[in-house]
Amino acid sequence: MNKQLFDKSNKIEKWALFVDFLFIVLYITLFFALFKILQLPIDEETGEVALGLLQYINPEYTILGNQLYLTLGAEADTFITVNLLISMLVLYALVAVPMFFINLKKVRTRTIYEVDSYAAGSKFFQGMINLLSFNPISFVLRVWNMFILVKFVKGYNVKEFFKSIGPAIKAFFKKLFTKKEKEKFGDADEYSVSIKKSIRRQNAAQVLRLTFTYVFLIIMALIIVIPFYWMIVTSLKDFSGANSSNPEFFISISRMNWINYKVVLTELNFGLYIRNTVIVALFSTAGTVLTTILAAYAFARIEFKGRELLFSILIMTMMIPGELYIITNFITVSKNGFGWIGTDNNNYFLAMILPFITSISYIFFLRQAFKQVPDSLYKAARVDGCSDFKFLMRVMVPIASPTIFTITILNVFGSWNAYIWPRIITGIGGEEGQQFWLISNALRDTGFALDTGEVMYNLQIAASTIVTVPLLIVFFMFRKYIMNGIGRSGTKG
Amino acid sequence: MADLINSTKKFFRKIGTVIKTFFWNIRRVLNNIKKRIGKFLDKHNLNFASKFPGWAKALLYLSPALIVLAIFTFWPIINAFALVVYENYNMTTDTITGYTVFGNFITVLTDESFIVPASHTGSSAVINTLIIVFISVPVSVLLALFISAALNSIKPLKGFFQTIYFLPYVTNTIAIGLVFAYMFKADGGLVNEFLSFFGVQSDGLSWVESGAVYWRSMFVLIFYSIWSTLAFKIMVFLTSIQGIDKQYYQAAAIDATPRSKIFSRITVPLISPMIFYILVTSVIGAFKIYNSIVALFGTSGAPAGVDYNLQSIVMYIYQFIDGSNAGNLSVAAAGSLILFAIILVLTLVQMQVSKKRVHY
Repeated sequence: MNKQLFDKSNKIEKWALFVDFLFIVLYITLFFALFKILQLPIDEETGEVALGLLQYINPEYTILGNQLYLTLGAEADTFITVNLLISMLVLYALVAVPMFFINLKKVRTRTIYEVDSYAAGSKFFQGMINLLSFNPISFVLRVWNMFILVKFVKGYNVKEFFKSIGPAIKAFFKKLFTKKEKEKFGDADEYSVSIKKSIRRQNAAQVLRLTFTYVFLIIMALIIVIPFYWMIVTSLKDFSGANSSNPEFFISISRMNWINYKVVLTELNFGLYIRNTVIVALFSTAGTVLTTILAAYAFARIEFKGRELLFSILIMTMMIPGELYIITNFITVSKNGFGWIGTDNNNYFLAMILPFITSISYIFFLRQAFKQVPDSLYKAARVDGCSDFKFLMRVMVPIASPTIFTITILNVFGSWNAYIWPRIITGIGGEEGQQFWLISNALRDTGFALDTGEVMYNLQIAASTIVTVPLLIVFFMFRKYIMNGIGRSGTKG
Repeated sequence: MADLINSTKKFFRKIGTVIKTFFWNIRRVLNNIKKRIGKFLDKHNLNFASKFPGWAKALLYLSPALIVLAIFTFWPIINAFALVVYENYNMTTDTITGYTVFGNFITVLTDESFIVPASHTGSSAVINTLIIVFISVPVSVLLALFISAALNSIKPLKGFFQTIYFLPYVTNTIAIGLVFAYMFKADGGLVNEFLSFFGVQSDGLSWVESGAVYWRSMFVLIFYSIWSTLAFKIMVFLTSIQGIDKQYYQAAAIDATPRSKIFSRITVPLISPMIFYILVTSVIGAFKIYNSIVALFGTSGAPAGVDYNLQSIVMYIYQFIDGSNAGNLSVAAAGSLILFAIILVLTLVQMQVSKKRVHY
């Protein structure tokens, strides 16, 4: 084991990661710069934005002295369009960001014993990906790193490595060939032959079963994935493409209409609705976490009279359907109650957040987690003069942090999905209430139809994509925590 | 050069220590004050904090949650029972014309779109909901069981499939519902394209638009509700299957038990508590179906220009808040109490069944 070589390889990898990071920043800034210069279609007569014109115009942009069209059309004479540039940047970012995080984790956790020839191979593969995404610096660094790893594992120099490739391939094929020969001419003992036959039959059955299982799983996975795929493809089509009676299943990357997203975010106000939803989600989640931690602690640790009674009353109310609350809460927050809505000075956010800053099911869930902390810890802390609050913050919360994280995520998802309560609250306000729509309301109630009555499906589906993608990003970032937490919890938010 | 770097390093370190000592000093002074106050309180027998009884401390911890719950959970329940006995409650003026005990319940139960469908509606909220519950729940639970058993039996790509099956859980119901409605479009929808690929005459076959037959739009609704609830069930089943002791399977393998028998005699009985739990929660969830209907068919709850309706019980209730019959909240409260009664009865029945049927 050559520690020096290992350290050197790690050092190079760190530099490559740094370069990767710079390139990711570059991709994202370029993406936003290009996204910003996209022009919305403007009706020349009225001077206002007219979405009906979206598919007919193909404006010309000057980027670094080159005249580029927005999309492929009759005027364009080259394959390169602004849409192509944006698509490429998105593609690079999609490849580079996960690779960056995976490598970051690897560099931080890899030990000297884990390095093998596969590590060198994967370094080369990553280098090729770097080259494809116009990142030559990382490519050079990763190939250099590969040679160092080869030297570390096999002891070969660069020259020796290239010399060794030929014999290695030959040996590989030879090995394959000899293995087959051996199977054919086994020992001819009758008994062992019969055993071998039955083993082979069992293996065949197992292969059949596995194939069947995989086919079943793949079909189900396709049913799950196709709506997502169709959503993303449709959101990038133009109006006639989305409304045609023979929809294309694939879309070429120079035809992707990124302007759909810009229209949805600015012209159809989805930027505002997403901001509203984030505000509601943040405050209601912060409130929920705070109140449930305190209440769960009281139910799990503090001894007082009537604890079980109070808790069972809370559990019983969980059976009552939420529709009952919504009807009467509507009265509570409206004119005859607190007057947050339906009066002169409305406060939609208060009405949308406050009813949801605590949850009985989360209190129940967190109490289970707190109960698992052994009593001796509490007693030891008390002997050392630790107050209840300090014990909660220093011991209980860190121990139960996976549960608290699950609660947070579930609550954020719940706010992102909220439909009926925000609809009732903002529906009473008319035009003013429309400024406080959350995304679900906006998706359902925004008029995506043209003056002619045709629905602009590409914009509608683009709005759906904008709503869905942030959730998917959060999910892929915390995949393990979320899946484990929900599998264990058995509760739905 | 090296000198320069060293001296700058030293400089910043010095600044760091100065800041640190500053904060430590503040902390020391604060602690001193705290100590003095404590001593003073002890001396004059004023230290309530150490003599706090249990319930007072509990109240301190419980109060944020309890205040919110009192306003938005307990009070609404009482209020709902008050609402139900009002006759012709008017929300804008906050006036009533009188009191009635069963009047609002009778209004709901005899409504031609609640239980017994009238000739011109052709469907009712209760019948729609029951159809959804009795088809979507068994199908989705069985499917989830098979998928999780299949997932448990493979090793490569397991995490990949698990992640994919989980995707519907992390989506917005309305957003994906719109995508489904687009996929089931009559003219150029993905599903019709797919069907015509297999030679089915599906040109202009209407699923969710005007001209759709009741069963076809019901199929889309049930399909979507299964699709969106499958993820959670698979996750829970998979976690509980992985928790089964491996010894049972090893014993079965020694006896050369066939796969189907292992599934029906070991896996299912051992996770039967979880199956039962999922059954209860998903029946309740299916009874409260609302968002999917709105996503697919809009707030009217039916494809445009058809004479039937796909609204569920919850949708029937909400139409009294902001639908076509907005305003009469007493009837809505009566409807939600009926829904509560249905759910309560179902839960009790299932509890009785579980005592006999569920192992463990």
